[in-house]
Amino acid sequence: MQNFSQILFVMWRETVEAMLVVGILHAWLSHNPDGKPGLKYLWLGVITGLGGAFLLGLGIDALNSVLSDEGQEYFQAALMLVAAGLIVQMVFWMRSHGQRLKRDLEQSLDHSTRQQNWWGVFSLAAIAITREGSEAVLFLSSLATGSNGFGSSSFWLALGLGVALAWGTFYLLQLGGKLISWRAFFKGTEIMLLLLGCALLINGVERLIGIQTLPALLSQVWDSSALLDDGTIFGGVVSSFTGYRARPSLMVLLVFCAYWGGVQWISRPARKQAAL
Amino acid sequence: MHKRLALAALACLLMAPLTGALAAQDLLTFRLECNNGVFKPQKLQVPAGKKFKIEIFNTGTEAIEFESLQLRKEKALNPGGHSFVVIFPLDAGEYKFFDDFHIQTGQGSIIAK
Repeated sequence: MQNFSQILFVMWRETVEAMLVVGILHAWLSHNPDGKPGLKYLWLGVITGLGGAFLLGLGIDALNSVLSDEGQEYFQAALMLVAAGLIVQMVFWMRSHGQRLKRDLEQSLDHSTRQQNWWGVFSLAAIAITREGSEAVLFLSSLATGSNGFGSSSFWLALGLGVALAWGTFYLLQLGGKLISWRAFFKGTEIMLLLLGCALLINGVERLIGIQTLPALLSQVWDSSALLDDGTIFGGVVSSFTGYRARPSLMVLLVFCAYWGGVQWISRPARKQAAL
Repeated sequence: MHKRLALAALACLLMAPLTGALAAQDLLTFRLECNNGVFKPQKLQVPAGKKFKIEIFNTGTEAIEFESLQLRKEKALNPGGHSFVVIFPLDAGEYKFFDDFHIQTGQGSIIAK
Protein backbone atom coordinates (compact mmCIF):
# COMPACT_ATOMS: atom_id res chain seq x y z
CA MET A 1 0.00 0.00 0.00
CA GLN A 2 1.43 3.30 -1.02
CA ASN A 3 1.23 5.87 1.72
CA PHE A 4 -0.39 9.26 1.60
CA SER A 5 2.72 11.34 0.89
CA GLN A 6 3.70 8.96 -1.89
CA ILE A 7 0.34 9.25 -3.62
CA LEU A 8 0.31 13.01 -3.08
CA PHE A 9 3.76 13.37 -4.63
CA VAL A 10 3.03 11.21 -7.67
CA MET A 11 -0.26 12.96 -8.41
CA TRP A 12 1.33 16.36 -7.93
CA ARG A 13 4.18 15.49 -10.25
CA GLU A 14 1.87 14.13 -12.92
CA THR A 15 -0.58 17.01 -12.95
CA VAL A 16 1.31 20.17 -12.15
CA GLU A 17 3.30 20.49 -15.36
CA ALA A 18 0.28 20.15 -17.64
CA MET A 19 -1.81 22.42 -15.42
CA LEU A 20 0.89 25.09 -15.45
CA VAL A 21 0.72 25.19 -19.23
CA VAL A 22 -3.08 25.12 -19.34
CA GLY A 23 -3.44 27.59 -16.46
CA ILE A 24 -1.04 30.14 -17.92
CA LEU A 25 -2.65 29.92 -21.37
CA HIS A 26 -6.10 30.31 -19.83
CA ALA A 27 -5.10 33.32 -17.74
CA TRP A 28 -3.51 34.91 -20.76
CA LEU A 29 -6.35 34.22 -23.19
CA SER A 30 -9.03 35.48 -20.83
CA HIS A 31 -7.03 38.57 -19.93
CA ASN A 32 -6.74 39.72 -23.54
CA PRO A 33 -10.01 40.88 -25.08
CA ASP A 34 -9.32 39.16 -28.38
CA GLY A 35 -7.88 36.05 -26.80
CA LYS A 36 -11.44 34.89 -26.03
CA PRO A 37 -11.91 32.82 -29.22
CA GLY A 38 -8.72 30.96 -28.29
CA LEU A 39 -10.30 29.61 -25.07
CA LYS A 40 -12.39 27.22 -27.16
CA TYR A 41 -9.23 25.78 -28.70
CA LEU A 42 -7.61 25.51 -25.29
CA TRP A 43 -10.47 23.42 -23.85
CA LEU A 44 -10.61 21.35 -27.03
CA GLY A 45 -6.90 20.67 -26.49
CA VAL A 46 -7.55 19.71 -22.85
CA ILE A 47 -10.26 17.22 -23.87
CA THR A 48 -8.10 15.76 -26.64
CA GLY A 49 -5.22 15.50 -24.17
CA LEU A 50 -7.38 13.64 -21.65
CA GLY A 51 -8.41 11.22 -24.40
CA GLY A 52 -4.76 10.74 -25.36
CA ALA A 53 -3.78 10.22 -21.72
CA PHE A 54 -6.35 7.45 -21.26
CA LEU A 55 -5.32 5.77 -24.51
CA LEU A 56 -1.62 5.89 -23.64
CA GLY A 57 -2.04 5.10 -19.94
CA LEU A 58 -4.31 2.11 -20.44
CA GLY A 59 -2.54 0.93 -23.57
CA ILE A 60 0.96 1.02 -22.07
CA ASP A 61 1.30 -2.79 -22.11
CA ALA A 62 0.26 -2.90 -25.76
CA LEU A 63 2.69 -0.09 -26.57
CA ASN A 64 5.49 -1.85 -24.68
CA SER A 65 4.94 -5.02 -26.71
CA VAL A 66 4.47 -3.38 -30.12
CA LEU A 67 7.20 -0.76 -30.06
CA SER A 68 10.83 -1.58 -29.36
CA ASP A 69 12.74 0.26 -26.68
CA GLU A 70 14.16 2.58 -29.33
CA GLY A 71 10.71 3.10 -30.81
CA GLN A 72 9.29 4.18 -27.47
CA GLU A 73 12.24 6.46 -26.86
CA TYR A 74 11.73 8.07 -30.27
CA PHE A 75 8.06 8.52 -29.51
CA GLN A 76 8.66 10.09 -26.09
CA ALA A 77 11.51 12.24 -27.40
CA ALA A 78 9.32 13.47 -30.27
CA LEU A 79 6.52 14.45 -27.86
CA MET A 80 8.98 16.33 -25.65
CA LEU A 81 10.76 18.14 -28.47
CA VAL A 82 7.49 19.19 -30.11
CA ALA A 83 6.17 20.39 -26.72
CA ALA A 84 9.39 22.35 -26.10
CA GLY A 85 9.14 23.97 -29.54
CA LEU A 86 5.47 24.85 -29.01
CA ILE A 87 6.20 26.39 -25.60
CA VAL A 88 8.91 28.66 -26.98
CA GLN A 89 6.75 29.63 -29.94
CA MET A 90 3.87 30.34 -27.54
CA VAL A 91 5.99 32.58 -25.32
CA PHE A 92 7.10 34.69 -28.25
CA TRP A 93 3.65 34.76 -29.75
CA MET A 94 2.21 36.06 -26.47
CA ARG A 95 5.02 38.57 -26.19
CA SER A 96 4.61 39.96 -29.70
CA HIS A 97 0.85 39.90 -29.32
CA GLY A 98 1.10 41.94 -26.14
CA GLN A 99 3.23 44.51 -27.86
CA ARG A 100 1.01 44.64 -30.92
CA LEU A 101 -1.96 45.17 -28.65
CA LYS A 102 -0.25 48.17 -27.11
CA ARG A 103 0.62 49.60 -30.51
CA ASP A 104 -2.88 48.90 -31.78
CA LEU A 105 -4.28 51.12 -29.12
CA GLU A 106 -1.92 53.86 -30.15
CA GLN A 107 -2.13 53.44 -33.91
CA SER A 108 -5.52 51.71 -34.21
CA LEU A 109 -4.26 49.04 -36.60
CA ASP A 110 -6.71 46.75 -38.29
CA HIS A 111 -7.60 43.78 -36.07
CA SER A 112 -7.68 41.34 -38.95
CA THR A 113 -3.95 41.70 -39.59
CA ARG A 114 -3.29 40.13 -36.22
CA GLN A 115 -1.72 36.73 -36.44
CA GLN A 116 -3.52 34.00 -34.55
CA ASN A 117 -2.06 30.92 -33.01
CA TRP A 118 -5.10 28.94 -31.93
CA TRP A 119 -3.86 25.60 -33.26
CA GLY A 120 -0.65 26.13 -31.34
CA VAL A 121 -2.73 26.63 -28.18
CA PHE A 122 -4.67 23.47 -28.98
CA SER A 123 -1.61 21.28 -29.66
CA LEU A 124 0.33 22.49 -26.65
CA ALA A 125 -2.54 21.77 -24.25
CA ALA A 126 -3.19 18.39 -25.88
CA ILE A 127 0.44 17.23 -25.77
CA ALA A 128 1.07 18.49 -22.23
CA ILE A 129 -1.96 16.63 -20.88
CA THR A 130 -1.36 13.46 -22.91
CA ARG A 131 2.24 13.17 -21.78
CA GLU A 132 1.74 13.79 -18.08
CA GLY A 133 -1.78 12.47 -17.81
CA SER A 134 -0.92 9.05 -19.22
CA GLU A 135 1.27 8.36 -16.20
CA ALA A 136 -1.44 9.53 -13.82
CA VAL A 137 -3.88 7.21 -15.62
CA LEU A 138 -1.46 4.28 -15.33
CA PHE A 139 -0.91 5.00 -11.65
CA LEU A 140 -4.64 5.29 -10.99
CA SER A 141 -5.57 2.24 -13.03
CA SER A 142 -3.09 0.08 -11.14
CA LEU A 143 -4.66 1.20 -7.86
CA ALA A 144 -8.11 0.36 -9.23
CA THR A 145 -7.08 -3.08 -10.51
CA GLY A 146 -5.58 -4.02 -7.12
CA SER A 147 -7.27 -6.43 -4.73
CA ASN A 148 -9.94 -3.94 -3.72
CA GLY A 149 -10.66 -2.63 -7.21
CA PHE A 150 -12.61 0.57 -7.33
CA GLY A 151 -13.39 0.07 -3.65
CA SER A 152 -9.74 0.69 -2.78
CA SER A 153 -9.38 3.79 -0.69
CA SER A 154 -6.03 4.70 -2.22
CA PHE A 155 -7.61 4.85 -5.68
CA TRP A 156 -10.19 7.39 -4.56
CA LEU A 157 -7.59 9.24 -2.51
CA ALA A 158 -5.28 9.49 -5.52
CA LEU A 159 -8.10 10.48 -7.85
CA GLY A 160 -9.35 13.10 -5.42
CA LEU A 161 -5.88 14.47 -4.84
CA GLY A 162 -5.17 14.53 -8.56
CA VAL A 163 -8.31 16.52 -9.32
CA ALA A 164 -7.76 18.84 -6.34
CA LEU A 165 -4.12 19.50 -7.24
CA ALA A 166 -4.89 20.07 -10.91
CA TRP A 167 -7.74 22.42 -10.07
CA GLY A 168 -5.70 24.13 -7.34
CA THR A 169 -2.81 24.85 -9.70
CA PHE A 170 -5.20 26.16 -12.31
CA TYR A 171 -7.11 28.29 -9.77
CA LEU A 172 -3.94 29.77 -8.26
CA LEU A 173 -2.76 30.82 -11.71
CA GLN A 174 -6.09 32.49 -12.49
CA LEU A 175 -5.98 34.20 -9.10
CA GLY A 176 -2.36 35.22 -9.65
CA GLY A 177 -3.30 36.83 -12.96
CA LYS A 178 -5.82 39.00 -11.12
CA LEU A 179 -4.06 39.74 -7.82
CA ILE A 180 -0.54 40.66 -8.85
CA SER A 181 0.07 43.17 -11.60
CA TRP A 182 -0.45 41.72 -15.05
CA ARG A 183 3.04 42.73 -16.11
CA ALA A 184 4.68 40.87 -13.20
CA PHE A 185 2.42 37.86 -13.69
CA PHE A 186 3.20 37.76 -17.38
CA LYS A 187 6.94 38.09 -16.79
CA GLY A 188 6.91 35.39 -14.11
CA THR A 189 4.88 32.88 -16.10
CA GLU A 190 6.97 33.57 -19.17
CA ILE A 191 10.11 32.56 -17.27
CA MET A 192 8.33 29.45 -15.94
CA LEU A 193 7.33 28.45 -19.47
CA LEU A 194 10.82 29.02 -20.85
CA LEU A 195 12.34 26.91 -18.05
CA LEU A 196 9.80 24.17 -18.72
CA GLY A 197 10.60 24.32 -22.43
CA CYS A 198 14.29 23.94 -21.57
CA ALA A 199 13.57 20.95 -19.31
CA LEU A 200 11.56 19.25 -22.06
CA LEU A 201 14.26 19.92 -24.65
CA ILE A 202 17.01 18.51 -22.39
CA ASN A 203 14.89 15.45 -21.57
CA GLY A 204 14.16 14.83 -25.25
CA VAL A 205 17.81 15.26 -26.22
CA GLU A 206 18.90 12.87 -23.44
CA ARG A 207 16.54 10.22 -24.72
CA LEU A 208 18.07 10.53 -28.16
CA ILE A 209 21.53 10.26 -26.57
CA GLY A 210 20.31 7.20 -24.65
CA ILE A 211 19.57 5.37 -27.91
CA GLN A 212 22.68 6.79 -29.56
CA THR A 213 20.83 8.86 -32.15
CA LEU A 214 22.82 11.82 -30.82
CA PRO A 215 26.36 11.55 -29.46
CA ALA A 216 26.97 12.50 -25.82
CA LEU A 217 30.35 13.96 -26.93
CA LEU A 218 31.64 13.77 -23.36
CA SER A 219 29.54 11.73 -20.98
CA GLN A 220 30.14 13.92 -17.92
CA VAL A 221 31.49 17.44 -17.95
CA TRP A 222 31.19 17.95 -14.19
CA ASP A 223 29.54 16.44 -11.16
CA SER A 224 27.58 18.88 -9.03
CA SER A 225 25.60 16.21 -7.19
CA ALA A 226 27.22 17.32 -3.92
CA LEU A 227 25.53 20.70 -4.38
CA LEU A 228 22.21 19.48 -5.74
CA ASP A 229 21.70 15.80 -6.51
CA ASP A 230 19.12 15.28 -9.26
CA GLY A 231 18.53 11.77 -7.93
CA THR A 232 16.81 13.04 -4.78
CA ILE A 233 13.15 14.03 -4.58
CA PHE A 234 13.84 17.76 -4.48
CA GLY A 235 16.63 17.60 -7.07
CA GLY A 236 14.41 15.51 -9.32
CA VAL A 237 11.67 18.14 -9.22
CA VAL A 238 14.17 20.91 -9.96
CA SER A 239 15.56 18.92 -12.88
CA SER A 240 12.17 18.18 -14.37
CA PHE A 241 11.16 21.86 -14.27
CA THR A 242 14.40 23.50 -15.34
CA GLY A 243 16.49 20.92 -17.19
CA TYR A 244 19.10 20.93 -14.40
CA ARG A 245 21.51 17.98 -14.48
CA ALA A 246 24.05 17.15 -11.80
CA ARG A 247 26.22 15.28 -14.30
CA PRO A 248 25.57 16.91 -17.67
CA SER A 249 27.06 15.51 -20.85
CA LEU A 250 28.75 17.91 -23.24
CA MET A 251 25.87 17.52 -25.71
CA VAL A 252 23.33 18.47 -23.05
CA LEU A 253 25.44 21.45 -22.04
CA LEU A 254 25.70 22.64 -25.66
CA VAL A 255 21.96 22.24 -26.22
CA PHE A 256 21.28 24.09 -22.95
CA CYS A 257 23.51 27.02 -24.02
CA ALA A 258 22.06 27.02 -27.54
CA TYR A 259 18.52 27.14 -26.11
CA TRP A 260 19.11 30.15 -23.86
CA GLY A 261 21.28 31.80 -26.49
CA GLY A 262 18.49 31.28 -29.01
CA VAL A 263 15.90 32.70 -26.62
CA GLN A 264 18.06 35.79 -26.08
CA TRP A 265 18.60 36.14 -29.80
CA ILE A 266 14.89 35.96 -30.68
CA SER A 267 14.14 38.41 -27.86
CA ARG A 268 16.45 41.03 -29.31
CA PRO A 269 14.33 42.41 -32.18
CA ALA A 270 11.28 42.38 -29.92
CA ARG A 271 13.04 44.68 -27.50
CA LYS A 272 13.94 47.07 -30.28
CA GLN A 273 10.32 47.16 -31.35
CA ALA A 274 9.23 47.91 -27.82
CA ALA A 275 11.62 50.83 -27.73
CA LEU A 276 10.08 52.37 -30.83
CA MET B 1 4.88 9.24 -57.54
CA HIS B 2 6.03 11.58 -54.83
CA LYS B 3 3.22 10.41 -52.65
CA ARG B 4 4.32 6.79 -53.00
CA LEU B 5 7.88 7.72 -52.22
CA ALA B 6 6.76 9.57 -49.13
CA LEU B 7 4.63 6.58 -48.08
CA ALA B 8 7.57 4.22 -48.51
CA ALA B 9 9.78 6.52 -46.46
CA LEU B 10 7.11 6.69 -43.76
CA ALA B 11 6.81 2.90 -43.72
CA CYS B 12 10.59 2.56 -43.32
CA LEU B 13 10.52 5.06 -40.48
CA LEU B 14 7.76 3.15 -38.73
CA MET B 15 9.48 -0.20 -39.23
CA ALA B 16 12.87 0.97 -38.01
CA PRO B 17 12.02 0.65 -34.30
CA LEU B 18 10.68 -2.87 -34.90
CA THR B 19 13.90 -4.07 -36.52
CA GLY B 20 15.70 -2.60 -33.54
CA ALA B 21 13.70 -4.95 -31.32
CA LEU B 22 14.86 -7.96 -33.32
CA ALA B 23 18.50 -6.90 -33.11
CA ALA B 24 18.18 -6.55 -29.34
CA GLN B 25 17.27 -10.23 -28.90
CA ASP B 26 20.74 -11.68 -28.40
CA LEU B 27 22.16 -8.97 -26.16
CA LEU B 28 23.79 -9.44 -22.79
CA THR B 29 20.72 -9.40 -20.56
CA PHE B 30 20.11 -8.69 -16.89
CA ARG B 31 16.92 -9.30 -15.02
CA LEU B 32 15.51 -6.72 -12.67
CA GLU B 33 12.37 -7.27 -10.63
CA CYS B 34 10.40 -4.59 -8.92
CA ASN B 35 7.85 -5.54 -6.29
CA ASN B 36 5.82 -2.56 -5.03
CA GLY B 37 8.86 -0.33 -4.93
CA VAL B 38 11.52 -2.86 -3.91
CA PHE B 39 14.10 -3.71 -6.56
CA LYS B 40 15.65 -7.16 -6.82
CA PRO B 41 18.62 -7.08 -7.11
CA GLN B 42 19.22 -3.65 -5.66
CA LYS B 43 22.69 -3.53 -7.16
CA LEU B 44 23.13 -4.73 -10.70
CA GLN B 45 26.70 -5.64 -11.65
CA VAL B 46 27.44 -5.08 -15.33
CA PRO B 47 30.62 -4.99 -17.39
CA ALA B 48 31.82 -1.50 -18.31
CA GLY B 49 32.09 -0.61 -21.98
CA LYS B 50 29.53 -3.14 -23.17
CA LYS B 51 26.04 -2.65 -24.50
CA PHE B 52 23.46 -4.56 -22.50
CA LYS B 53 19.77 -4.97 -21.87
CA ILE B 54 17.82 -4.86 -18.62
CA GLU B 55 14.60 -6.80 -18.57
CA ILE B 56 12.28 -5.22 -16.06
CA PHE B 57 9.48 -7.24 -14.47
CA ASN B 58 6.85 -5.65 -12.32
CA THR B 59 6.13 -8.48 -9.88
CA GLY B 60 4.13 -6.32 -7.49
CA THR B 61 0.49 -5.30 -7.33
CA GLU B 62 1.07 -1.60 -8.02
CA ALA B 63 2.28 0.25 -11.10
CA ILE B 64 5.96 1.19 -11.19
CA GLU B 65 8.08 3.58 -13.16
CA PHE B 66 11.69 2.57 -13.57
CA GLU B 67 13.64 5.76 -13.99
CA SER B 68 17.27 6.78 -14.15
CA LEU B 69 18.34 10.32 -14.86
CA GLN B 70 21.96 9.26 -15.30
CA LEU B 71 21.04 6.55 -17.79
CA ARG B 72 18.35 8.73 -19.36
CA LYS B 73 15.73 6.00 -19.10
CA GLU B 74 12.13 5.97 -18.00
CA LYS B 75 9.77 3.03 -18.25
CA ALA B 76 6.32 2.76 -16.72
CA LEU B 77 4.87 -0.70 -16.11
CA ASN B 78 1.53 -2.05 -14.98
CA PRO B 79 1.36 -4.78 -12.32
CA GLY B 80 2.51 -7.98 -14.02
CA GLY B 81 3.93 -6.03 -16.93
CA HIS B 82 7.43 -6.40 -18.28
CA SER B 83 9.58 -4.59 -20.76
CA PHE B 84 13.21 -3.88 -21.35
CA VAL B 85 15.62 -1.01 -21.75
CA VAL B 86 18.80 -1.12 -23.78
CA ILE B 87 21.77 0.59 -22.16
CA PHE B 88 24.64 1.64 -24.35
CA PRO B 89 28.24 1.07 -23.16
CA LEU B 90 28.85 2.69 -19.77
CA ASP B 91 32.06 4.00 -18.26
CA ALA B 92 33.01 2.26 -15.01
CA GLY B 93 31.06 3.69 -12.11
CA GLU B 94 27.79 3.62 -10.23
CA TYR B 95 24.55 4.66 -11.91
CA LYS B 96 21.47 5.18 -9.79
CA PHE B 97 17.94 4.24 -10.73
CA PHE B 98 14.67 4.49 -8.85
CA ASP B 99 10.98 3.71 -8.97
CA ASP B 100 9.28 7.02 -9.55
CA PHE B 101 6.01 5.72 -8.13
CA HIS B 102 7.71 4.49 -4.92
CA ILE B 103 10.56 6.92 -4.57
CA GLN B 104 11.07 6.37 -0.82
CA THR B 105 11.81 2.64 -1.04
CA GLY B 106 12.52 2.08 -4.69
CA GLN B 107 16.21 2.89 -5.01
CA GLY B 108 18.88 0.87 -6.74
CA SER B 109 21.98 1.17 -8.83
CA ILE B 110 23.91 -0.31 -11.68
CA ILE B 111 27.58 -0.88 -11.02
CA ALA B 112 29.68 -0.98 -14.15
CA LYS B 113 33.15 -2.53 -13.73
